[in-house]
Amino acid sequence: MATCEGCAFFFRVPEGEEDFEPGKADCVTEHKDQKGKYWLSKPVFEKTETCQNFRKRS
Amino acid sequence: MTTMAQPIEYRGKVIDFPPADPKDADIPDEELHEHLFAPSTDRTRRLKGRCRWKHASAGEFVEKGTRAGIERMRLITESHKESRGKPEVIRRALQLAAVLTKGTVVVQQDEFIIGYHAEDPNMFPLYPELSYMNVKDYLQSDYSPQPAAEAEEINNYWRPYSLQSKCEKYFDPIDLTRMYQVSTMEAPSFAHGYNSIVPPYETVLEDGLLKRIELAEGHIRDAKAEMSKQPWDGTKGLDWISKIDNWEAMVIADKAVIIWAKRHARLCKIVAENFETDPARKEELFEMAEISRRVPAEPCKGLKDAFQVKWYTYLLCHGIERYASGYAHKEDKVLWPYYQASVTNKSFQPMTHADAVEMVEMERLKISEHGAGQSRGYREIFPGSNDLFIFTIGGTNRDGSDGCNDMTDAILEGARNIRTTEPSMVFRYSKKNRVKTLYHVFECIRDGLGYPSIKHDEIGTEQMKYYAQFSLNGNGATDEEAHDWANVLCMSPGLVGRRKTQKTRSEGGGSIFPGKILEITLTNGYDWSYSDMQLGPETGYAEDFETFEQLWDAFKKQYAYGISLVIRAKDVSRYMEGNYLQLPFVSSIDDGCMELGREACSLSEQPNGWHNPITTVVGGNSLVAIKKLIYDDKKYTMKQLMEALKVNWEGFEQMQKDFKNAPKWGNDDEYADAVIKRYYEEIIGGEMRKVTNYSGGPVMPVGQAVGLYMEVGSRTGPTPDGRYGGEAADDGGISPYFGTDKKGPTAVLKSVSKVQENQKANLLNQRLSVPMMRSKHGFDIWHAYMNTWHDLNIDHVQFNVVSTAEMKAAQKDPEKHQDLIVRVAGFSARFVDLPTYGQNTIIARTEQQFGAEDFEFLNLELN
Repeated sequence: MATCEGCAFFFRVPEGEEDFEPGKADCVTEHKDQKGKYWLSKPVFEKTETCQNFRKRS
Repeated sequence: MTTMAQPIEYRGKVIDFPPADPKDADIPDEELHEHLFAPSTDRTRRLKGRCRWKHASAGEFVEKGTRAGIERMRLITESHKESRGKPEVIRRALQLAAVLTKGTVVVQQDEFIIGYHAEDPNMFPLYPELSYMNVKDYLQSDYSPQPAAEAEEINNYWRPYSLQSKCEKYFDPIDLTRMYQVSTMEAPSFAHGYNSIVPPYETVLEDGLLKRIELAEGHIRDAKAEMSKQPWDGTKGLDWISKIDNWEAMVIADKAVIIWAKRHARLCKIVAENFETDPARKEELFEMAEISRRVPAEPCKGLKDAFQVKWYTYLLCHGIERYASGYAHKEDKVLWPYYQASVTNKSFQPMTHADAVEMVEMERLKISEHGAGQSRGYREIFPGSNDLFIFTIGGTNRDGSDGCNDMTDAILEGARNIRTTEPSMVFRYSKKNRVKTLYHVFECIRDGLGYPSIKHDEIGTEQMKYYAQFSLNGNGATDEEAHDWANVLCMSPGLVGRRKTQKTRSEGGGSIFPGKILEITLTNGYDWSYSDMQLGPETGYAEDFETFEQLWDAFKKQYAYGISLVIRAKDVSRYMEGNYLQLPFVSSIDDGCMELGREACSLSEQPNGWHNPITTVVGGNSLVAIKKLIYDDKKYTMKQLMEALKVNWEGFEQMQKDFKNAPKWGNDDEYADAVIKRYYEEIIGGEMRKVTNYSGGPVMPVGQAVGLYMEVGSRTGPTPDGRYGGEAADDGGISPYFGTDKKGPTAVLKSVSKVQENQKANLLNQRLSVPMMRSKHGFDIWHAYMNTWHDLNIDHVQFNVVSTAEMKAAQKDPEKHQDLIVRVAGFSARFVDLPTYGQNTIIARTEQQFGAEDFEFLNLELN
């Protein structure tokens, strides 16, 4: 099963942050519609099952 | 070619009115407003071009793709289930923390002020903990959160816990059904969820949240030490339990807010490093990251900090912890120290005045795309806007000196440049205000924005002192603090600052409709024209009232019944809010809550009770017509009148004309004004102020209209003022009925100034001549008018400066008139977003032409 850890949008929460937890990351995705671009960030964990936005880290 | 005002002979001279700006002469009347958009930078031009407006028209969102999100509902539900057994206030804090730490954060292209309250910038959150009916309304619409089945399940879960369910049981179902008609009374807030708040922004900007956490933790330590003292005294010691819970909830909330801000900082940095290719924007994203990493945890040091922290605080208080309408704060005062640091002294985040103006424009566009998640009913009553967003500027400082500063000017300049309907603003008019700033105020009005609306500075300040005497803990506004006020929503002043501010609309707000009440007074409290049910007590039939005083007394009883019921509904809500809908974040930023360990909805230090009579002038003009034509002149009998009303005047055309032509409010008419002055002071205010609310003070009338003058007008049958059933009602709390003020602008002021007793505020809409206001004498005329208005001790006035030609052109070709803004009532709207019914009410308002008599009354010097 693929997990978020291998996704290009997986950005680990640095140690020392108040919300740091082992394996926790920000899932940051870029979106674009007729009004322009925007970026969304949601907390995920490295073992979270991948979603439809998954893009393999290069 | 633009129309010019006709010359006027005045004090022996012929006065011409050439346009102040010669370029105006080449612009046709029909397209003036399309030439006034002048963003200060390319960035704000782009931001306006891509703004995700959340405007509604006739209850429908104007932009496709706007809909409710599910994330907030989902996260608070999970938290509610996981926190069973904990104190309610802690559960509320944990729900907030869940949204802030687990929810989505958003950054958009080009923006500098960041933050949103839903999982996507096209969405807005819902609040099942408030009203299950409101959420159900969305579930049945095209704007439903998805997946809809999950949203339905969540709403069903909350139903027994909702504010609505907790309050309903304390009311007779008959009374509830009467309120739900929204024709004599607004529905109770626990059913519609509409709310307002005045956040104490100052503590967040000045202290930072780490300081607030330190304060709360200190209080917890002290409280536990007090509880440990011997000998134990249970009559006092148990009080610490709720205080400790409140302080602990504050700590949970503030820590979560700091994490949330830092998540934004991380997002900016990640976007800069991984997505953005423009070096200048990358650098800006790093700067934005630095700001959100530092504030609101720490105090603000510069103007960029202040705008960002104000926005975060706004989102938390108005959209995340709980829904609240409004944008109440004294913006120029809040931002002035940071303007001085960045613009004047350039000691932190150095910038120019022009940069500050750009920040204002960017903030206005953030507000413009904020989604409110109101029920359909509330979307309908704010046609052409997305919610009520209103802040205040100007006035006087605590020492009584002029409150205007260069930040005030930047706010006005930015508003005039960017031309958005939101946020609206209020200017507190004092004769101490500097002319430079007054000219900026005038320019916004002259350019047709409909704002600032103008409030009388001294009346508001005295009102704060008056209410302070009723403070339940003896800590109402001091004489100095009384100068720190802003409008809570459209019209009613309330304190701003670090404590004593209004935290919920159950303190003040909500509507009652005297026009409809007058209608049912004629039929023993029965509503034959709309709901077909008994809407009030049985007070007799019009045909049996032998004297005008009998009618008067019956109306008074109907009105008194409605007022007591609606205020009881608010106070029951208030009780439940304090016990189940606590606001730990808001509590944490209020110095009173922090000091006393109290929850924000529960603690009341400064009473500010009010309710909004809407459609008052229809009721008043009807009483005048009845008194004149039936009881005094005896031209008609009440039986004849009732026959005519029951058939909507059909077959009684001459009678309708006579009642329509009876003396009307707003013409300085002695007969009409005597009846209406008594009506306002003895019934509208006199009966209302007999009611005491949760906070211990009297409830006073704040006459206004929002879009309810249309909504309730459509539910009000034919009335004795000659109005046909279903026609719109009067458009302001004390505004003359449209088209019936025929004696010029100063006659309106003279009439309105006669009502002085038992009023908290009254909205006065005026429509001024475009050619005259845009002429070289425009400012001098307006300034003299304002000084006279001030001398007459009138509470409020606001202006439409838009031509009939341009409004009619926009009706024909809406696409070409996207920037045409009009003042509806307490808010401005894009004209083309109004339903035709609403547009026609704006066109029908009297366009006041000043004449020589008016100039004389204003003692105007013209050259």
